[in-house]
Amino acid sequence: MNPLPEFPAEEARYRALQELDPRAAGALEVLVTGLHDESWRVRHVAAEALKRLPSSREVAERLIRVLGERGETGARNAAAEALAGLGGAALGPLVTLLGHPDPDQRKFAADILGQLGLRAAELPLVQALEDPDLNVRVAVSEALGRVGGEHSARALEGLLTDAESLLRLSALEGLALLRRPPPLPVVLAMLEDTRLQRSAFRVLGLVPEVVATERICQGLASPVRSVREAALGALGTQVALVEPARRGEVEAVVRAALRRLPDAAQRLVQALECEDVTVRSGALVSAAALGEASLALPVAEAAREDRLLREVLNTLGRLGPEGGRALLAHMADLSSPARAAAAEALADLVDPGSVTALCALLEWAEDDLRAVVVRALGRTRSPEAVPPLVDLLVAPSLAGAATRALGVLAGSNRTAVLEALEEAVTRRATSAAVAALARVGGAPALPALRQLARDAEPTWRAAAVEAAGEVDGAVGRELARAALADEAVQVRAAGVRAMGRLGGPEAGALLRPALHDEDASVRLAAVEAVGESGATDRASELEALVRHPDGALAVAAVRALARLGMAGPGVLMDAAAHPDAEVVKAALSAGALSAVGVELAVALLGHPRWDVRAAAARVLGDAGGPERLDVARRALEAEADALARQTLSDAVERLSRR
Amino acid sequence: MPRFDDSRPEMSLEEFRLLRDHVYSHCGILVHEDMKFVMERRLWPRLEALGLPDFGAYHRYLRYDAQRHAELEAAVEALTTHETYFFREPSQLKAFCDELLPVLEKRNSRLKRLRLWSAGCSSGEEAYTLAMLLKDSRRFDDWDVEVYGTDISRRVLSMARRAEYGASALRATSADLLERHFQPAGNNRVRVRDEVRSWVSFGHHNLLDETGSQLVPRMDVVFCRNVMIYFDQAARRRVLRIVRDRLVPGGYLLLGHSENLLNLGADFELVHLQGDLVYRRPELPGLTTTGGEGR
Repeated sequence: MNPLPEFPAEEARYRALQELDPRAAGALEVLVTGLHDESWRVRHVAAEALKRLPSSREVAERLIRVLGERGETGARNAAAEALAGLGGAALGPLVTLLGHPDPDQRKFAADILGQLGLRAAELPLVQALEDPDLNVRVAVSEALGRVGGEHSARALEGLLTDAESLLRLSALEGLALLRRPPPLPVVLAMLEDTRLQRSAFRVLGLVPEVVATERICQGLASPVRSVREAALGALGTQVALVEPARRGEVEAVVRAALRRLPDAAQRLVQALECEDVTVRSGALVSAAALGEASLALPVAEAAREDRLLREVLNTLGRLGPEGGRALLAHMADLSSPARAAAAEALADLVDPGSVTALCALLEWAEDDLRAVVVRALGRTRSPEAVPPLVDLLVAPSLAGAATRALGVLAGSNRTAVLEALEEAVTRRATSAAVAALARVGGAPALPALRQLARDAEPTWRAAAVEAAGEVDGAVGRELARAALADEAVQVRAAGVRAMGRLGGPEAGALLRPALHDEDASVRLAAVEAVGESGATDRASELEALVRHPDGALAVAAVRALARLGMAGPGVLMDAAAHPDAEVVKAALSAGALSAVGVELAVALLGHPRWDVRAAAARVLGDAGGPERLDVARRALEAEADALARQTLSDAVERLSRR
Repeated sequence: MPRFDDSRPEMSLEEFRLLRDHVYSHCGILVHEDMKFVMERRLWPRLEALGLPDFGAYHRYLRYDAQRHAELEAAVEALTTHETYFFREPSQLKAFCDELLPVLEKRNSRLKRLRLWSAGCSSGEEAYTLAMLLKDSRRFDDWDVEVYGTDISRRVLSMARRAEYGASALRATSADLLERHFQPAGNNRVRVRDEVRSWVSFGHHNLLDETGSQLVPRMDVVFCRNVMIYFDQAARRRVLRIVRDRLVPGGYLLLGHSENLLNLGADFELVHLQGDLVYRRPELPGLTTTGGEGR
């Protein structure tokens, strides 16, 4: 094959490389030529193609030769990029390169080994710390931080006393990456060196001790902004590591430190706008410790970063009713994520005076936000919140939240809630009011429910049937029985669900027609209801459904049989053979504590789906005997999925204790 | 410590993985491991609305229920944050106005037709911003101009069509721009003026849907800013293929400032403008490129 054709345009050369068959003879040399192209796009596509070549030492060695071409900066960088994508095949040649006479080459080797991140490079890199060239030693130190491992950590710790501050700095950064803080006195000493201060704070944040918090807080008082931010970053890191029970200790130290600063709130506002997420996280922790309501809006805005949501909610919850009022007054000014976080927090910050502002918010807020506002309304304890909540029952997406909120509100305003709900039912505002009425009204609501169960509209009949069972078992059964013969699907489904919840000696017989209903949703509800009601006389019908091709029905059948205590070996084997993994997992869950279940779990440790393997591991850990330890260990060795590995590891640990 | 509603179910790691994979296979949006808490909070209202007891039940709902497709869209809407504002990344917009608009005016002067795509437009701020910039440039007054905003979330599209905004969306909007392009809408909110809205249209589009992308007309410029951060490399490649296909040869792609096409092997050339770096779909071989200096 000829080298890269002399196409007139960059685009044509780019296309030629993109369309090149990497298995063709001479492809390697064509791509290496591409690494030398004047256009970065062509160099980049060549590097990408080189990564896709069948990985081999030959390719790695050829690329390493390009690294040696002085004056070819573009080609060298592109070759380094390709080498970093070759994986294990590049390891040997790069380790060899660490011994090259040219320090530039040795530095390249260290950089790329760092990018590869292979643990096998650990020892050669540790040895390379003896390199006579400082730049190489610094590159090696940085690479060790990425490669990780015990030897790396020890070697980096050893560098902390090196005479070269660059090396000390890269070692600190490496230890921060490895999340391996050196002993506290060592870190504290390094904080005195201004060149190392930022990195030392990063490492200090990894020490979950109050002594470290105290030193971090000294940083918060620094007149230098970069030091303050480094300290806040350390605080953000530290709080994530401290056990929740000890968080109060940390906050007490922070609070004391911040109260000594006249402009603490101002500084936190500034820090909450910082680019660095860990700094913002530390600022949130500080704001929570300070409990300063004027910070409510910048704190809420920190929710624009998803990763900070937990801390934002926690902090907003600490700003008290005054913080809540500040949020409510400025909801329209907040960004969308900030509004969502503020609304979430408001549920804990509202008081009876918040109703008007919450209702104003309902006028324009997005749907998902309104659901949270509804919850907050329920917590105001104000009778003024009743009418808007009853009105919201008509919104399908909010009816559930409004019903629950009315239930909470009824704790302090029962009469007002009840009257409003009765009125809503009388004017047929929404069937959701029926459930709320039953929940709040109790037995006195039964006559109204009986009447509604005979309503001309199926929606009302269905609502009444479901609600009656919540109030009185006998009346509920009576209405559910009638509903099972209703001509409307939604009423039959409601009757089935109610019968499932209420149970009773006749439940099985009454549910039988529903298992064969013409409508799939009624059949599915009936399967679940059989399990819930304990109707063991319907087990044989459920057993037949375990093999049903509809995964939803099969899962429901397995779960129902398990609830009935009738998921025998045959059922479990049938379910385990189902093509739908959800059915297989249902089988594992159903047989969790039985000998058959353990056998099944062992057989399923090799299932192609990670979630099935994890479920099998859990069963093994829960119910397996010590004789299963070997099989669990073998599975653990073979497991590639992180989550399944974790579950298997737990199982091995539990089995080894038996 | 604050009281958060303890009756809400927690999401196990396995449930998180199953839901995350489900969402990913639908639209390429990848929710990272450290986002479990966020996913849990964002999906709670969905569980509440559906009356489901836990996330296992929610996963089964997404797998089996007759309404699963609609619910998957609702889940995606809940999971994608829609944080944007008018005149975001001003230096890029300045480069767009000062350096790309003259090129586009010259290129398209015969047809007097200009098409811009705000891909992943969220609640419309970017699409309207572009229309405002085109209006203010006075270069395209008698042209056939369309700024086309698309998003996977129907909810944000309805907000975009309403064109009403609060202070947060206006935090980078100067007083004179506010005066020129917005009118009061009550309740401390403003509405985009009709003359700007007339140049903007919106449509529902999943950026990974190659079939659906055929409905997007050929574009002179695509703004796809801070959208691909939600995707993994494989999904980004697919999006870029679709975007390239929708661009005219020589058309421009503008990404967010924290984004680039490194390691994506995309078919775009980098263009160094005075004030920014942008990408361009190469001209067909034989045609000369204009605007900026391709490297």
